[in-house]
Amino acid sequence: MIVEELAFLALAAIAVGTALAALLVRELVHTILWVSVFFVSLSGLYFLLSAPFLGVLQLGVYAGAVTILLLFGVMVTRKRIFAREAATGIGPFPLALALLAIVVLAVVAASLPQQETVVRAYDVTLLSTTLFNQDGAWLVLLGFVMLSALSGAIYLVREGRE
Amino acid sequence: MTDLSVASLLFLSATLLAVGLFGILTRRNFILLLIAVEIAMNAAILNFVYFAAFTGTPGGLSGQAIAVVLVGLAATEVAVGLAIVLALNRTRGSINVAEATSLKN
Repeated sequence: MIVEELAFLALAAIAVGTALAALLVRELVHTILWVSVFFVSLSGLYFLLSAPFLGVLQLGVYAGAVTILLLFGVMVTRKRIFAREAATGIGPFPLALALLAIVVLAVVAASLPQQETVVRAYDVTLLSTTLFNQDGAWLVLLGFVMLSALSGAIYLVREGRE
Repeated sequence: MTDLSVASLLFLSATLLAVGLFGILTRRNFILLLIAVEIAMNAAILNFVYFAAFTGTPGGLSGQAIAVVLVGLAATEVAVGLAIVLALNRTRGSINVAEATSLKN
């Protein structure tokens, strides 16, 4: 389907472009705005890959919660919210490494079989059955990780710790 | 039903991983580091979703389930990271990772 190919290409370009923009702009608040667009474009990719539940989850958790958390972090750690970062020069080594990585990846991707794959449409009820029956242990584990992370975060920010 | 090639999506997620790695290597602000880690982690989650769509029903649904768990894990990681940012800001007055060297030596 040509429409889906075009949609994929557009979303991929937006994703890579906004990710780069997020890491390259000088103002931290602009970074967070760019990265929220990045999260929304990934959500579009999930819808395209017939994972609608994950798309909605991406919108809610990333574009919603994580973005606000990051903005909150900027807000409480700065006197002036819209302050430019001190110029951090990008050394030639990381830039060269990144370019080399992109070239190597392009070569590897070009050598992969170019077959077209059929993406199956999934039912959300089937996913929920998998999530709560067959893979339920992962969810329980995630709950314990979140609980310990919560207590760890409270320990880190508690008053009177020197 | 969608037709997409394996290579194009793998290339996309690998590029996103490279972008995240670039941010981790070059940025010095802790919040920017967190964002770079999130970009790299999203590349990994994208791989799970892609191969979930690529394989058949049972394995594919497991892939999506693991992607759901990973999204929760990444959000948890941001919360803990911001707690570290707050602690760093209170004890040193700066969130530059190059200055947080009190555990050195």
